[in-house]
Amino acid sequence: MKEKDHEIVFKHTGYRREDFSVCVGCKICASVCTVNDLDIAVNPQELLLRLFLGQEIGKEDPLVRYCTSCYRCAGACPWKIRIPEVVRAVKESLGMEALFEKAFKKSLNIWGRVYEPFVVVMAAPDLLKGGYIKHMPKWMEYAGFHLPHKVKRLKPLNASEGLDPSEKGRS
Amino acid sequence: MEYGYYPGCSLTGSAKKLDRGVRRICEKLGHSLTEIPDWNCCGALEYGDRNELLSISGENLRKARGMCKEIVVPCPACYKNLKDADPDRSFNILSPLELLNPGNLSQIGQKRDLKGKVFFPYYGCLLMRPEGSAIRNKNIMEDAISAFGGDIDGEKMRDRCCGGNQLFLNKWATEKLSNLILSRSRGTVVVFCPFCHMAMKTFAVGRKVIYLTDLLLYVMGENNSL
Repeated sequence: MKEKDHEIVFKHTGYRREDFSVCVGCKICASVCTVNDLDIAVNPQELLLRLFLGQEIGKEDPLVRYCTSCYRCAGACPWKIRIPEVVRAVKESLGMEALFEKAFKKSLNIWGRVYEPFVVVMAAPDLLKGGYIKHMPKWMEYAGFHLPHKVKRLKPLNASEGLDPSEKGRS
Repeated sequence: MEYGYYPGCSLTGSAKKLDRGVRRICEKLGHSLTEIPDWNCCGALEYGDRNELLSISGENLRKARGMCKEIVVPCPACYKNLKDADPDRSFNILSPLELLNPGNLSQIGQKRDLKGKVFFPYYGCLLMRPEGSAIRNKNIMEDAISAFGGDIDGEKMRDRCCGGNQLFLNKWATEKLSNLILSRSRGTVVVFCPFCHMAMKTFAVGRKVIYLTDLLLYVMGENNSL
């Protein structure tokens, strides 16, 4: 991701470039990061620094690939920077979404809810490759087959602020 | 008390067990739950655009407006998102864990006890973090287990990440993180998050993984086994 794309990350997370200048490099985020438990050395602070300095962020960055959104870094950070959300925004602007994530969003667009059988079918190529079949017996108890239920998505938040919300629920 | 109820997608799919348990326990405690009409997904952890995520979650709050002031949200991801979407706290968003307290546990009608059994209460990430959208009583699972005579183990691992978010992206990562937690704890794993349940259940060999609601239903005499 080049410097001009960083603006998308700032827009998506609601942070400004200078907000990351307060990061003093204490690296407490790195000391608690779950990805380090995987024996992959990552330093969330470096990602913030790259965003601040406008340096390139690559698709192979292990933090971007393996962040589990556990919010341990955000809890430990003296400035309470929501690092998992920054990582998600970077991931999205790099176009790194896996089939599972795409299927999740597509289901939300079609039905307004996540319909699990649909997500499984859409993500099947990844699931078949990833060796998930052997876990199927354990997951069978989950098989909650229900018919998809279409939910009305209301207008975007800002556009309908002036309307009476109680009426929309009924319509 | 009357509450609005937001089950979230997983409680109508893979975590139906948790849904049934929450409804039953609330009924026993004398709370009535009314489902928010036509609710939609909260967006979970899949959106990089914070504004989009909050607008998706915010729709649910607008559907609930006029209907209730207090909403019970069992799924920790939904709980966090709905709290984030309501910065001025016009709703009181509660996890079912916040409806329980050491004082009212006796109301559920104890028929069995948990003596001699070891449990590992595992909260996961989103009930405990980030500060500001975390549950208030962070010891409620321990309180519930010890109130019914069970033993507790693995306190240090209770808020470590199971990697559930990576289960369908990098399975090995979830396996490693879950095994780290499982190897440093003993006994039946008690969870509340649908994703933790799925991740733990997938990789726990020879260990039982149950929802807290299953445990309470067992104590109430409604589940025959743990």
